[in-house]
Amino acid sequence: MKKKDLGLAVLIIVVGLVVFLRNPLFLSPINMGNTANLIGLFGIFAIGQGFVIMTGGIDLSVGSVIALLGVLFVDMVGRLGVPWPAAIVIILLLGALIGLAHGLLITRFKIQPFVVTLCGLLIYRGIARGYTGEATAGFPFGSTYPGLEWLTIGRSFGIPHSFIAMLVIAALAWVVMHRSVFGRHLQAVGKNEEASRFSGIRTDRVTIAAYVICSVLAAVAAVYFAMFTKSVQPSSHGNFYELYAIAAAVLGGFSLRGGEGSIVGVVLGAVLLQELQNLVNLLGIPSSLNFAVMGTVILAGVLADNQFAAYRGRRRSSRTLQQYQAGNELTP
Amino acid sequence: MSALELRSISKNFGAIQALKDVSISLEPGEVVGLMGDNGAGKSTLVKVVAGNFSPTTGEILIEGEKAAFHKPLDAQLAGIEVVYQDLALCNNLSAASNVFLGREPTTRFGPFRIIDYRHMRERSAELFARLKSETRPRDQVLRMSGGQRQAVAIARTLLSDAKIVLMDEPTAAISVRQVAEVLRLIRQLRDHGIAIVLISHRMPDVFEVADRIAVLRRGELVCNKRASDSSPEEVTGLITGAIEMA
Repeated sequence: MKKKDLGLAVLIIVVGLVVFLRNPLFLSPINMGNTANLIGLFGIFAIGQGFVIMTGGIDLSVGSVIALLGVLFVDMVGRLGVPWPAAIVIILLLGALIGLAHGLLITRFKIQPFVVTLCGLLIYRGIARGYTGEATAGFPFGSTYPGLEWLTIGRSFGIPHSFIAMLVIAALAWVVMHRSVFGRHLQAVGKNEEASRFSGIRTDRVTIAAYVICSVLAAVAAVYFAMFTKSVQPSSHGNFYELYAIAAAVLGGFSLRGGEGSIVGVVLGAVLLQELQNLVNLLGIPSSLNFAVMGTVILAGVLADNQFAAYRGRRRSSRTLQQYQAGNELTP
Repeated sequence: MSALELRSISKNFGAIQALKDVSISLEPGEVVGLMGDNGAGKSTLVKVVAGNFSPTTGEILIEGEKAAFHKPLDAQLAGIEVVYQDLALCNNLSAASNVFLGREPTTRFGPFRIIDYRHMRERSAELFARLKSETRPRDQVLRMSGGQRQAVAIARTLLSDAKIVLMDEPTAAISVRQVAEVLRLIRQLRDHGIAIVLISHRMPDVFEVADRIAVLRRGELVCNKRASDSSPEEVTGLITGAIEMA
């Protein structure tokens, strides 16, 4: 665990403690369960966003992908009668295809990630609305899907399965990001694309893979969200979710310039965001101020982190200077 | 036997002839200072040897055998390494990670193949020791001096047991004290029997380490002689064209 992650964990605990002291309901099993569910849902696609941000890119289309694939999933399972495991596979493949398209447009056609995924945001939202003719996609009245429901909205020992899914995905993502060769190349490409290419890394492939991972995880989240809300309203479902993902990543220490960040960080970022939402509810702050609270905390967090990093830098250089003056040589 | 031999290499870009009939050879453990004005063809020559361009005509021989490079990796496999001018390093990674960038060693971990950090650290510590550099494997490149960064870039070339190292302006953007450090590293490489092409604008640096001086002017090799038989004044004349040929 890096120092940054540790700081974020401490912040989460402190905020939690303050909320608990003001309103003990914070630690009630019902509230914890609901918050864990939301952390799971938002964490899944925030991790995907982390991979893209690591390359120095951005994916603005996540919310629209969640809406479009959510509509398609509900429609396939509810109206067309596709068996749900097959529907999940189709949704994941569609997610991979969307990511592949983003990656190819960015690497082969050299369009900026912001532009590509902004167009994606508009296109997928538009298709979702057009597909249902602005109607809400829902399951037929009285229908149940025990296996699917167990997998998505079920709970074991009071722990929502969405949260468990997020933990499993986070563990895999951690190995890929921080222990695999691909993850190392991802970090290298994000920081210095040219150097990576000179070192023999196939940078285009690495970048494309990051966008595929992001969109596939958005597809996973799409299934979970569709099952959580049970009906998908195509014009509002998943609105602004890409910004939650970016916020979680930035809180978790990712740099939008690429090459920096950790999976632990982005998960903790997602936790903090949901904790803040919860705080607004539990402390009786008007929920209209929701976004204002979130924005303020993110800004304060990033500002504090910057100041702390500058302080550490100054302390390090003064220590080196002292060593230099004392021994007149730089000893390791 | 020469480590590298170029036989009448020419390279045309459309109507422009960037290299005209360049022939030169390098012995193991020899440092050749390649000089020339901007646009004289130095970078083109490096790129031909590094496999970025294939020559229009002419042959490249590695240890007496003909070689054909279609991409940079071919040249790398033949034992040619390039240290680029802007030091192709990743600031966010450690020294060890940069040394191994693009060829990370892996080990099995359950169903996964994960990076073998220990091997990376040990091997790069070995390489830094061989270069007599103070660089530590865990240090982030971000916080390194220009000289230390050069050490990392040069350690990369040792990793692959390179026979020929091309260095593009390694002393261009660093302080005087660090220049001395880089020149020391170049001598270290030479002492390991590696043939080195040092491209530089800085006359004193070239004369300090080079055994031989080669000068390109408008794509032609106008000088290829022992450094001790030449002088900075003569080389300046050759570069500008005041002296026709030497």
